Amino acid sequence: MKISISYPPIINDRGQKAMVSQNRNVQFFKKPTYLLPVTYAQAATALARDGHEVLWDDGNAQLKTFEQWLDDLVQWNPDIIVFESTTPVMKFYWRTSEVIKERLPQALIVMTGYHSMRRPEETLSNSAVDIVLRSSNVDFVLRRLVEEISKGSPFWRMTLNIEGLTIRTGTQEFRSTGNFIQVEPLDNSAIIDRDLVQWKNYAFENGNFLQTPGTYATSVIRDCMFGKCTFCRYNGPDLTFSMMSVQRSLDEYEDLIENHGVREIFDDSGVWYRGRDAREFAQGIIARGLHKKGCYFGLNTRFEYLDEETIRLLAEANFRFVLLGFEAADDETLQRLNKGYQMEHVERCLQWLTKYGLHPHLTIMVGYYWQTQEQLDLTVRTVKDLMFRGLARTLQVTICTPLDFTPYHQECIDSGVLLTNDYDDHDMSRVIVKTPIPHERYYEAIRQMYSIPFHPRFIARQIMFLRYFRKRDWQFLFTYSVRAIRRVRQHIFNLTRASE
Amino acid sequence: MIRAGQCFSVGLASLGINREYSMYSAADDDYLDFLIRVVPDGVVSPWLAKCKVGDHVEIGGPYGDFCLLEEQVKSKEYVFIATGTGIAPFHSFVKSFPTLRYHIYHGVRHEDERYDIEHYAPDRYSAAVSRPRLGTSRSERVTNLLEQANLKNDSLYYLCGNQKMITDTIALLLAKGIPGGAIFTETFF
Repeated sequence: MKISISYPPIINDRGQKAMVSQNRNVQFFKKPTYLLPVTYAQAATALARDGHEVLWDDGNAQLKTFEQWLDDLVQWNPDIIVFESTTPVMKFYWRTSEVIKERLPQALIVMTGYHSMRRPEETLSNSAVDIVLRSSNVDFVLRRLVEEISKGSPFWRMTLNIEGLTIRTGTQEFRSTGNFIQVEPLDNSAIIDRDLVQWKNYAFENGNFLQTPGTYATSVIRDCMFGKCTFCRYNGPDLTFSMMSVQRSLDEYEDLIENHGVREIFDDSGVWYRGRDAREFAQGIIARGLHKKGCYFGLNTRFEYLDEETIRLLAEANFRFVLLGFEAADDETLQRLNKGYQMEHVERCLQWLTKYGLHPHLTIMVGYYWQTQEQLDLTVRTVKDLMFRGLARTLQVTICTPLDFTPYHQECIDSGVLLTNDYDDHDMSRVIVKTPIPHERYYEAIRQMYSIPFHPRFIARQIMFLRYFRKRDWQFLFTYSVRAIRRVRQHIFNLTRASE
Repeated sequence: MIRAGQCFSVGLASLGINREYSMYSAADDDYLDFLIRVVPDGVVSPWLAKCKVGDHVEIGGPYGDFCLLEEQVKSKEYVFIATGTGIAPFHSFVKSFPTLRYHIYHGVRHEDERYDIEHYAPDRYSAAVSRPRLGTSRSERVTNLLEQANLKNDSLYYLCGNQKMITDTIALLLAKGIPGGAIFTETFF
């Protein structure tokens, strides 16, 4: 069969493109960075290996206009088109499915993603989509789905019994195949075929890479091993987590370095290995000599997950970038978000990371519906303090936006604090919940935090790092800073909509 | 409010590292109990094993939804399948709901890992010992027990343990005609 895994270019009325941002939410940027959708890349790889003709159709990364993208897709004439959706682009996808059906009436449209998997009938009611796939294991379920459909039964809509699907059987008639979301052994998933997904399109325009070409590894954890944070889409009884074996991941790293010349590898798993697995991975990198190939490694983790010995080993293995969710500095917010760490341990973790030369990156959020001025000020003050003291090197700040029917989203709906019913408004460009203080205060806090890298104290601290003569610190100051400034300008520019 | 079967993050204040453990105690107990295996090259569990009365332990939570629906407790029969300390949430269920109709299938390496078996009615607990030491039982895995068991389609199946057991058990249950919507999992890591 001919299967297209498609990401249409989504451009808003201000000429900004939709891109995946913090917490894998969609945000609009004038100059976007392009992030490889890892699970979908694995799906494309697996389907191609099964003998299907697969089109990796990322209109954003391929720099197409919407019209170019659509014309190219129509010309390719796929049997199945797969989309990945999330709340702020749902309406766009619904409209796009109608447009496609007009030009490709025979093509089956499969909608995936965390929003539609939690409201499948809504998507089928409002669009021309044929099937909603209600699993985060898109690659595994797609393979089974395609195999069944390719048998050519005219009655597949009524007879297909793969669990976790909602299938259109009539104009407004749908059939659910059950709620079960199978736990899949991640070692059975495909390692991404880099050529198939045109990996170089994602290798340069990514603010998290200090060196290029960089790439995202095939994630070693699917969903999240913690999986309890209320604002995160990797949370819910419909999700489970699974983990890839260390040796398999090491094999991929070796291939990326030796055969593709990759100079920075980031694993975007919700939370990367910890404990024994993390140490085994670092030891494996060292044993294979990959730590001496001039390639940096990066990971997502949580405070209180990595101990000092593990961090020391990671540093020895040439890990650099460590992304940590620092959603707030007050304990009430951390408890309400189910973050599972305590403020008193944040500093120690950052000290360990910094001591061994890693570059901690903080992802901060503001605009929770309960957030007071006092709580907000504490977050800003703490972030400034950590950055000025060199305990964190980079940061990203976003507005906490309820979406994809996460527990936080549901909480906002149930408590009546959501200010809009329009999914387009969930694009993280402004606060959309009732708050105890004016929304402008949150935007001001974001501006303040994004101004930290321009502060003389921060710059002076970066210069002090140079005395260790670590290559990465010199690169950070003289190479990365240019890109960082551009990113900060983007984020601050985006807030102008909020103030309109 | 604590619900039976939820998990907590547990760590030592001096360590700055925590790990999640499922509760072993009942939801309405006035204390929290955990069943923790000491991982020799682990970080948190060896420290916890050395804890003395009076040491400061940090607890966060409760977290998670690996729980029974109260409205189903009287009407449903339950099958609990665990490996090792994965029996913890099931102990919490059984202690919290004394009238629960259940059967536990417990996979352990050695006989002495059949923790607190006296807390379960003998006809409601079956163990599979993979590396028997006492010579009174033969080597088998929890999936061997399930293959021989009479499993009902209308029961609810709760699985807790390592990833391999969960994957293998799901395949086995589906092959036996158990609907996927009746299977709930909590994977240890």
